[in-house]
Amino acid sequence: MAMTKSKRRRITAIIRYAVLSVWAVIAFFPIYWIISTSFKLDTQWFAWPPYYFPSPPTLANYLNVWFGAEEYAQTQYAISSQKPLISLYNSMVIAATSTTLSVLLGSMIAYGVSRYRILSEVRMFQLLMLRMIPPIVVVAPLSLYYTAVGLIDTRFGLILVYFLTTLPYAVWMTKSFIDEVPLEVEQAAEILGASRWRTVFEIVLPLIRSGLVATFLFILILTWSEYLLALIITKTQVTTLPIELSKYQGSTEGRVYGRQAALAVGITVPLMIVGLIIRKHLARGFSFGMVRR
Amino acid sequence: MARIELCSLEKYFGAVRAVKNLSFTIEDGEFIVFVGPSGCGKTTTLRMIAGFEDPTSGEIRIDGRVVNDLEPRDRGLGMVFQSHALFPHKNVAQNIEFGLRMKSVPPEERVKRVREVAEMVRIGHLLEKMPSQCSGGESQRVALARTLVTNPSTFLLDEPLSSLDAKLRRELRAECDRLHETLKRTFIYVTHDQEEAMTLADRIVVMRAGEIVQIGSPMEIYSDPVNHFVADFFGSPSMNLVAGAIVQTNGSARFRSTSFDIVLPEHFKDVAPGSGTLGIRPEHVDVTLGGGGDIELPVRLVEPLGKDTLLYFEAGADRAFVAVTEGLGMAAIKVGERVALSLDRPRIHLFDDTGQRIKGAR
Repeated sequence: MAMTKSKRRRITAIIRYAVLSVWAVIAFFPIYWIISTSFKLDTQWFAWPPYYFPSPPTLANYLNVWFGAEEYAQTQYAISSQKPLISLYNSMVIAATSTTLSVLLGSMIAYGVSRYRILSEVRMFQLLMLRMIPPIVVVAPLSLYYTAVGLIDTRFGLILVYFLTTLPYAVWMTKSFIDEVPLEVEQAAEILGASRWRTVFEIVLPLIRSGLVATFLFILILTWSEYLLALIITKTQVTTLPIELSKYQGSTEGRVYGRQAALAVGITVPLMIVGLIIRKHLARGFSFGMVRR
Repeated sequence: MARIELCSLEKYFGAVRAVKNLSFTIEDGEFIVFVGPSGCGKTTTLRMIAGFEDPTSGEIRIDGRVVNDLEPRDRGLGMVFQSHALFPHKNVAQNIEFGLRMKSVPPEERVKRVREVAEMVRIGHLLEKMPSQCSGGESQRVALARTLVTNPSTFLLDEPLSSLDAKLRRELRAECDRLHETLKRTFIYVTHDQEEAMTLADRIVVMRAGEIVQIGSPMEIYSDPVNHFVADFFGSPSMNLVAGAIVQTNGSARFRSTSFDIVLPEHFKDVAPGSGTLGIRPEHVDVTLGGGGDIELPVRLVEPLGKDTLLYFEAGADRAFVAVTEGLGMAAIKVGERVALSLDRPRIHLFDDTGQRIKGAR
């Protein structure tokens, strides 16, 4: 007997949700595991059978890894330096500065491309191709040059390289938003007496605000979590959080999972906070103009 | 005051010559309508006057002063765009206020002027709304108000009504006319709609393929078209244009086509024979039910419109031969019936095989 339409639809729905639920568990389990581990006592990190819930939950990992609180360092895994806080500061300065520069200059270039065609389509594509070059290819020569000019192991050195490597993204993303602002709206402002700069600041920028915010977050995530360039270009004076995170897996220190997890959570939280603050713009920005403004 | 002179204006887009050697003067206070099919260069011309396109060569003068190198904002013009181009992130009042703010008008004065202008175009109740909350007609009124408030010497209107429905179009057309009456400013209006051109213009500039085909008052354009193109473009329903041949027999000129053969009026008696086109407006074709007209054609379609009835006749071409008759008296005529028609002789137009009008000896 043929299934009725509604029955068939229901079965499809059940299968769909079953598959998606399994996938959700697979995707979210590691995240859960890291968060859970970050609250576990040292003895529970690699206990078998595993502890799925920390019991009792402890802040020891956080206090030790972030603030170097000695009293929580009962085991050989104790970390007593305060390096992560310094790294957090470095990461914040480097990511925020390079991202701001990138979006600022990128949107200016994008405006020029969109309105004055200062770059041909081929050039725009080449700009994107620049970004396709594997960083590993340039990192060694770059470190040589950086050593020569004294940029190695400096914040400015990292800011510069992050700014340059993310600029193509900034140009491409913001251009797609600027393209969407009708030329006539700008011309209307112009003939009403607005100067070019005034038009950009009063009309264009407010209209692409969501896009700028989305671009900013996208590039912030890239620079915040960049590892390879930071690894080669910085040595001891300036470390960023991703480098710090890797240090907790060193063979001499053993596997300090709880501390590492606490660090990992700490690295993620700032991005989440930024995302929450600007979430109103993100949905509109990331829809890339598929939704009418 | 604004007298706008266009001198030998040329515009190339790459290899495409969009505007060809345009020379023409717009007098102060005139309502000029540029009309023509899409791609004829009318919008490009308007945008050159506005300053959004640089002419490839030629000069634009406003009150005698060459403005080629002036920025749009320094030309003292106001423009209304086809897309209305309201600022979506500003409310109606802020939209209208924008131009005043750019000219550093003090705030109290701005509020007063915005209110005045809003009343003038009847959008006083919309001031707090966002453009997205306004209907098409309302948006266009806001766009008008935004331009009006800056008190420009000349209004440039680029197909301002083409995105609106027919009823609103008529309403806003009347509005434009009223504004022109009260403001006594120069209006330059671009449209592809011949009806808008006819109703609004003091003078119509008909353009085709980057060139001016004819300049004249609506009546001149309508009753005295220089060529086949203008004759065909103006009027609704359009002029009947029948291809055929002009022949000379016994000292009088005749026009022969596959479906009829008539004697041409006296002033055409010396016209050289050859192929050509006869044109006559539908309202100059009379239906003579008793018979005895100039020509006799079978009816293809009857369209009773209420006030008038349109009769479409088979004339051996794709396009039907049309007659307009008043009232619904003729609505009962059956399709296929042969009906006698008489043409208003003095109103017959002739065009030669290049499409140019043959004037005859008048």
